[in-house]
Amino acid sequence: MNTKEIAHPVAELSAVSKSFKTAGGHELKVLENIDLAVNQGELLALLGQSGSGKSTILRCLTGLVEPTSGRAMANGKTLDGVNPNASVVFQTFALYPWLTVEQNVAVGLMAHKVSRADRDAAVDKAIELIGLGNYHAAYPRELSGGMRQRVGIARALVSQPKLLCLDEAFSALDVLTAENLRQELISLWRSQENGLSSIFMVTHNIEEAVEMANRIVVVFPRPGRLGLVLDNPLPYPRDTKSPEFQRLVSIIHESITTMTLPDLPAEVPVAGQPISRGRMRMESIPFVPVGQILGLMSILNDSPELSNIYDISDEIGKEFGETISIVKAAEILELVDTPKQDVRFTDLGRKFVASDRVGRRKIFSEQVFKLRLFHIIIALLHENEEVEADRVIKDIASALPYDNPERVFQTMIAWGRYAGLMDINNKTRMVFVPEEDEEVAAGDTRH
Amino acid sequence: MLALFSLLWSALHFGKGMLVHFDDTVVLQIDSSPSQIPYYAGRTLLRMWIAFSFSLFFAIGTGYLAAKSKTARAFILPALDVLQSVPVLGFLSATVVGFMALFPGSLMGVECAAIFAIFTGQVWNMAFGFYHSMVTIPTDMQEAASTYGLSPWQRFKTVELPASAHSLIWNSMMSFGGGWFFVAQSEAISVMNKDIKLPGLGSYMAAAIDKGDNSAALWAVVAMVVLIMASDQLVWRPLLAWADKFKIELTESATPATSWVYNLLRGAYVFTWFDENVLQPIADALSKVSLPVPVKAARLRKRHKRLLWRAIGVLIGLWVASEVLSGLYAAVQVLHGALSVELVLHVIWLGFLTLLRVAAMTVLATLIWTPVGVWIGFQPKVARFAQPLAQIGASFPVNMTFPIVVGFFVAAHIPMNWGSILLIAMGTQWYILFNVIAGAMAIPNDLKEASRVYGLRNWDLWRTMILPAIFPFWVTGACTAAGGAWNASIVAELATWGDTTLKADGLGAYIADVTKTGDTPMIILSIAVMSLFVVLMNKFLWRKLYAFAERRFRLD
Repeated sequence: MNTKEIAHPVAELSAVSKSFKTAGGHELKVLENIDLAVNQGELLALLGQSGSGKSTILRCLTGLVEPTSGRAMANGKTLDGVNPNASVVFQTFALYPWLTVEQNVAVGLMAHKVSRADRDAAVDKAIELIGLGNYHAAYPRELSGGMRQRVGIARALVSQPKLLCLDEAFSALDVLTAENLRQELISLWRSQENGLSSIFMVTHNIEEAVEMANRIVVVFPRPGRLGLVLDNPLPYPRDTKSPEFQRLVSIIHESITTMTLPDLPAEVPVAGQPISRGRMRMESIPFVPVGQILGLMSILNDSPELSNIYDISDEIGKEFGETISIVKAAEILELVDTPKQDVRFTDLGRKFVASDRVGRRKIFSEQVFKLRLFHIIIALLHENEEVEADRVIKDIASALPYDNPERVFQTMIAWGRYAGLMDINNKTRMVFVPEEDEEVAAGDTRH
Repeated sequence: MLALFSLLWSALHFGKGMLVHFDDTVVLQIDSSPSQIPYYAGRTLLRMWIAFSFSLFFAIGTGYLAAKSKTARAFILPALDVLQSVPVLGFLSATVVGFMALFPGSLMGVECAAIFAIFTGQVWNMAFGFYHSMVTIPTDMQEAASTYGLSPWQRFKTVELPASAHSLIWNSMMSFGGGWFFVAQSEAISVMNKDIKLPGLGSYMAAAIDKGDNSAALWAVVAMVVLIMASDQLVWRPLLAWADKFKIELTESATPATSWVYNLLRGAYVFTWFDENVLQPIADALSKVSLPVPVKAARLRKRHKRLLWRAIGVLIGLWVASEVLSGLYAAVQVLHGALSVELVLHVIWLGFLTLLRVAAMTVLATLIWTPVGVWIGFQPKVARFAQPLAQIGASFPVNMTFPIVVGFFVAAHIPMNWGSILLIAMGTQWYILFNVIAGAMAIPNDLKEASRVYGLRNWDLWRTMILPAIFPFWVTGACTAAGGAWNASIVAELATWGDTTLKADGLGAYIADVTKTGDTPMIILSIAVMSLFVVLMNKFLWRKLYAFAERRFRLD
């Protein structure tokens, strides 16, 4: 804690909240009450799933986006516009396709008053430093993704910024290129060459954060808020296979899992009422296609040895965040249970995988019907034959203020279609209950 | 249903007027009371739609042929290229004479000439557009169609037409917008020293100005704007919104086209009824014609068929070639002896003067509208209103208002040599404006953010990001504007206000002059020279700029 007190923040957010308007005109709260400081000399990683608001935090910190409330500060002073001492490396590179490598890098110095000779020297140095020596006159479109991102990094470093921000800088690159670039950036930062001292990176990749950062902050979505804060004292270069490294990774895994899949006490059944967590509390649904839930169920069935959520993530080759979403979807449908880090079939889940196509649809339909969110919308649909999509989206927006109602709606339609509970006519934009076909009719009469 | 009936009624009602007996010694009187405006507007609109229907079929036909047959392509593409460069207005008088000979004693001939002028003004661009979208259909879609053994007709209606629908509708909208200029011009023309007027908004305007009836002129302008906006809102916007589903792209577009009419009509019972009772029977009847045949017989028949098609193709080709040759021969006959070197040089010199005017217009419009367009494009809220407005501005036939502006020139003693630049710019500047707006709107967000992070301001921002990013769009706009300017020069370099006729030195005024007096050799010569100028400009300037923009300033 001692080091924290003498730490000098180069950039800071204090009680920052941010709201956006969605395409459908709904107010969406993306960040709530964020306090975050990037200290002099540290490499801070902000870790979160897509849609958690981490990119918005980066934009508030650099002044690209103005907070709805709260303050963004640089070196103790409130930011007015873009932070002149920060530079950003973008996920999409954001290179000007009509400028050569050299000219692109020189853009980083354009706003600085330097002589032509000084500028050329600085550009040359940055290009050499980042290993683009022979590419001075090339255009970005002639370069591979990795080389393009090197140009992006050189452009960000050429003005010797006090703070370097990386916005998912490695996610558009293939695994080998990304690893190579990460290592080079770490050694640049450690050598303190080129004046590079503080780095703020945003990523969804847990290993990447543990490999690079000496402090990690996990951000949780809807609305974006900070969770676990973790110091990472492991010495560089870090061995991703070492037990210490794996321990840190699993601490983060655990924190995300308990936040996303909490072990709630079972609810007390009420006679004649469907029993479900989703029924008692208004809860959003993960934006997961039905096919992925079915896929998860059959993988669990085929490989009984898979019980840990990380192993499942490896097995299905998805990001941890995505895996969590799929598991969560199966969990709110009561097909699996997730004590701690494990994923286990419930009795219903076992029955589900043993059923044929019709039986599965029936179970799915029953479970979806129990979710409070669906319950409300379907009740609305039974009152009126057809309901306008906009009306449904509005209802969703008022029930779930932190979610993007259009996306919730699309997921609901996808699930509802498979379950045979609701459908939309995209010509008229009307939501309706489809005619019961015989397959599912038997299931519906039970309610 | 009501809409269908009313459509039928209006076509009959306004169409009846076309067959009215016409005596070429009596000039048709245009009634300039405002209550007649709806009738005249209807006539103008009918002309537009007839011409557009011909354009659509012709564009699809030639585009399809060019995409499917290598031989046809070798002829069609260069032909379209040249035809696109020919100033339509120069031909107007010639076609009027020709069509009048076809329909003696009836206004039908003039009517046909007007429709033909609109047709030639819009068709080439549409044919090019359709050809281009036909050849850029993703290969996998074509391969899938081959795998399932679709007949050419099935393939056309399930793959090729839907895949081209969006670009076809977009091009149609732009071409239709360009058509207003020609309809207004062709309704009141003078050929062989005779004034011929077709009932319509253009002639109404001309009559009103002749009489100095300002309120009637104003009414005509208002009616024209209403007509253009109604076509835009009631026909083109709904069609574009509907065609959004035919766009071939994987990600949903950030700003899908919307139209209140489309939202209103979507899912209406009429369409279902129309589909079930009209379209489907037609489609069934058509598909019966091309029933799949057993493979062996099919192969044999295919060979016969191919021979047959080739024979037909050769025949058509021979016919077109003989027509062109006899036309050329006739032209040479007429020109023979009527030309001298000095005369040709004089016409070319006039061409240079008009070229200067076209260049001046392009430069001025660019200097004025680029900053405005970029400013608008950067404010999504403003752009949503401004872009359609600029499009309507481009559609409005400003030539209707030329006499008024010329009156101002007379009063202010502005020489026509300079004033005509303004007249030309009045109609063509909008193409530059709305393309610049589109370009500024298309700049990706990450590039904008990078510019902000690196503190680019003022000139640095313009030369690093804005100018390169809008350049390809500017080329499109400037090329269209310049092409339109050549056509406009024919009506802009020679204009009348009451008894005063103002004339600028230029090829446009020269063409206007010789068509008025019916001096055939000079008409041929001057139009040929102007076409040559346009073709050379396209080849040595715009084509080069397009290629340069594509090579250097493409966003990817």
